[in-house]
Amino acid sequence: MKSVKKLLTLAMATMLSVSLVACGGAKVTSSNANGQQTSTSSDKTLKVQFDVEVASMDPQIATDGTSFEAIAAVTEGLYSVDAAGSPILAAAESAEKSEDGLTYTFKVRDNKWSNGTNVTANDFVFAWRRLADPKTASEYGFMISIAGIKNADDVLSGKKGVEELGVTAKDDETLVVELSHPVTFFESLLSFPSFFPVNEEFFKEAGDSFATSPDTILANGPYKVSSYEPAATTIELVKNADYWDANSVKIDGVKYQVIKEAQQTMLAYQNGDLDVATLAGEQVEQFKNDPEFNNVAAGYLWYISVNQKVAGFENENLRKAFALSYDKEAIVNNILKDGSIAADFAVPKLLATGPDGKDFRETTGTYLSTDKAKALDYYNKAKQELGKEAFTYKMMVEDTESAQNVAQFIQSEIQTTLPGVTIELEVMPKKNRVERMQAGDFESVLTRWGPDYADPMTYLDMWTTDSPNNYGFWSNAEYDKAIQSAKKGELALNPEARWEALKKAEKTVMDEAVILPVYQKGNAVMIKKNVSGIENHSVGVPRILKNVTMN
Amino acid sequence: MKKYLLKRIAISIMTLLVILLVLFLMLEYMPGSPFNDEKLTVDQLALLNQKYGLDQPVIIRFFNYIKNMLTGDFGVSYTISKNTPISTLLQTRLPISLRVGGQAVLLGTIVGLVLGVIAAIKHNTIWDTLTTVISVLGVSLPSYVFALGLSYYLGFKVTLFPLLYSAEAAFKSSVLPTIALCMFTIATIARFTRTEMLEVLGSDYMQLAESKGISGIKLLTRHALRNALIPIITVLAPLIVGLMTGSLVIEKIFSIPGIGSLLVTAIQSNDYNVIVALAFIYSAMYIGIMLVVDILYGVVDPRIRLAKEDNHE
Repeated sequence: MKSVKKLLTLAMATMLSVSLVACGGAKVTSSNANGQQTSTSSDKTLKVQFDVEVASMDPQIATDGTSFEAIAAVTEGLYSVDAAGSPILAAAESAEKSEDGLTYTFKVRDNKWSNGTNVTANDFVFAWRRLADPKTASEYGFMISIAGIKNADDVLSGKKGVEELGVTAKDDETLVVELSHPVTFFESLLSFPSFFPVNEEFFKEAGDSFATSPDTILANGPYKVSSYEPAATTIELVKNADYWDANSVKIDGVKYQVIKEAQQTMLAYQNGDLDVATLAGEQVEQFKNDPEFNNVAAGYLWYISVNQKVAGFENENLRKAFALSYDKEAIVNNILKDGSIAADFAVPKLLATGPDGKDFRETTGTYLSTDKAKALDYYNKAKQELGKEAFTYKMMVEDTESAQNVAQFIQSEIQTTLPGVTIELEVMPKKNRVERMQAGDFESVLTRWGPDYADPMTYLDMWTTDSPNNYGFWSNAEYDKAIQSAKKGELALNPEARWEALKKAEKTVMDEAVILPVYQKGNAVMIKKNVSGIENHSVGVPRILKNVTMN
Repeated sequence: MKKYLLKRIAISIMTLLVILLVLFLMLEYMPGSPFNDEKLTVDQLALLNQKYGLDQPVIIRFFNYIKNMLTGDFGVSYTISKNTPISTLLQTRLPISLRVGGQAVLLGTIVGLVLGVIAAIKHNTIWDTLTTVISVLGVSLPSYVFALGLSYYLGFKVTLFPLLYSAEAAFKSSVLPTIALCMFTIATIARFTRTEMLEVLGSDYMQLAESKGISGIKLLTRHALRNALIPIITVLAPLIVGLMTGSLVIEKIFSIPGIGSLLVTAIQSNDYNVIVALAFIYSAMYIGIMLVVDILYGVVDPRIRLAKEDNHE
């Protein structure tokens, strides 16, 4: 008895001291050689970390990047995108565009769902109608309207039945899509999961449990689901042998593991429990020299929106003074350090490719680059015009660590560069920030915008007078006209002219400092060195794993 | 006794209803909505609210909710697992949380008792000091510190246990979370046991018992520990509740697919039905535990039961 007690006490004491030491120096070293062995076993299953649960495996219901990634691993739309982000045929074998750009005819490839039935044109008709159906209440229903599909708006608003949507299955292999106006980025839109097919018969059979378990998720893509439950912390996929391009799939499967805690993520990565893991901002410093460290560009643009209904911000010179006054390079290099880049633009890099085959940013200028001397000039002009010597503004910022760090830096930069300006930060959860922006109840705000499709319009549309997301209340009739024309009017018929008009539109936004751009987000990702072929994208499906190889 | 119990249960149900109402009102005034995406148009929002009945006044939603709840329908999740019935989420998740929590209660109580008893018997020795140190640390350090420490040393440095929860190795992978979760319980129970035991050991009747020749284990368990148990049971109830809240953090750290991690995500994303259902379950558990503890008093000390019967009949 006595010895048992002793042992127990001893065990407790050891455990405790162990934990104590841990709090003191929980430094993560990469010297765990024996742990790494486990990752290179014969089983070629790619182990990937998610930092949030998959919200839905239903293509027409999902709206977040994590869900999109998992959905795209098992389901394939008419198009996918290649490593560079250009659309490539996937479930469609061929596509034919009519002269006027208003009718597309797709031949659906000979491919099977994982239950053995053929993938048919009707699977697309059913899915797209479902996306547009007010009864589905899909949060991404608006994509059907962005795609310009005939009658989309009327179907969405319930004025017309779903049968009137401009999409028909001529036969099992032939899908005909009618548009109400030409959409230059239509193909790339179709790689968006909202447009992925759903087998009608299977869907009806599954009923409410559709897309909630391996038995109720059909695959027509590179992998199929072997383990899943709603809000699961692990999701397992195995290679889909029936996939038409199964030869290109070089690994046995994918295992997604949800880990929300940053330290645990990296311990699991170093242990060999993960092959791919996303670093938290504060971990970047520690790993940035590791050969397995990677920077991935994300589409999110962070910027400051100023409310032009607030006295002073209607003055262009004051806005410009603010926009030029903070050191963006310092923000990305000293604060974020995660591969984010300074944003001297309103439309991010690697978002959209033009008719010339070049990235939008390659053929446009840079705007509002940091220039503190010029900022002071604008500031002095503004002071004169406004007849004021001192300005105090509130700036909303969400309560994440990185957003707060950036906001504090901007605050001190503006205050130092422009004497007399006081910025007061208002820290709040993101949902409060969004709510107050929507109510117009703010002076300025550090905010972000993620792209929905691979065209500059996903940003530029936001600053039209009637846009619900035009939080700053800037208004320019000429700009509105150009955007409208590029969307549905004359410019939509002429891709080259449209592209030029979009460049001009961006220039206007920047010249008038409608928003004060800060940075384009990057992600720091650790990828084991035996893994290659992971394709990252800043819009749509964030990560495509079809072409991954593991040595 | 029966009457007393019935009355208690009736009060519990009323309490739960009040809690539910307060929850509904609180959610109503929480900033944001489940559909926080700033890209949603007004029409779409109206559509979504209509689909989920959120366009109704809060009081009507409240009564609808209760009506549905009686049939076991807790509604569906709006954001974290879109359109999934809450009951489906609970089916797989509740057992996991209960198991890990149960393990922690069991381990925490046993280890705490043993430590406390040792400290009392070996009063003023190194063992006593050690127990005190453990108690102070256990009470003052939050459980996530233990969780991260244990992960680092036992899950990473010495790969004794898995870092993350996995369904295949359900027990082995729940060892670290259990330990991290029960540290506070160990510390508190040990402290209370030690104090109570010292008092009991020094009492007249213990000296009498000892002088009667009762010795060793029997003396300890039947005479000392039993008397020391009552105050300990009193603290056990809030401790178990503490475990439930602790599990919110621990489940997140170890990626345990339980209800704790679910609740955190739900609150962040205004997933009303999930929040209501889980908060309701937590409240029900709390009230249930209090009830059990009251009954336990009677089992440990028959005098209390009699006293209550006098009061209520």
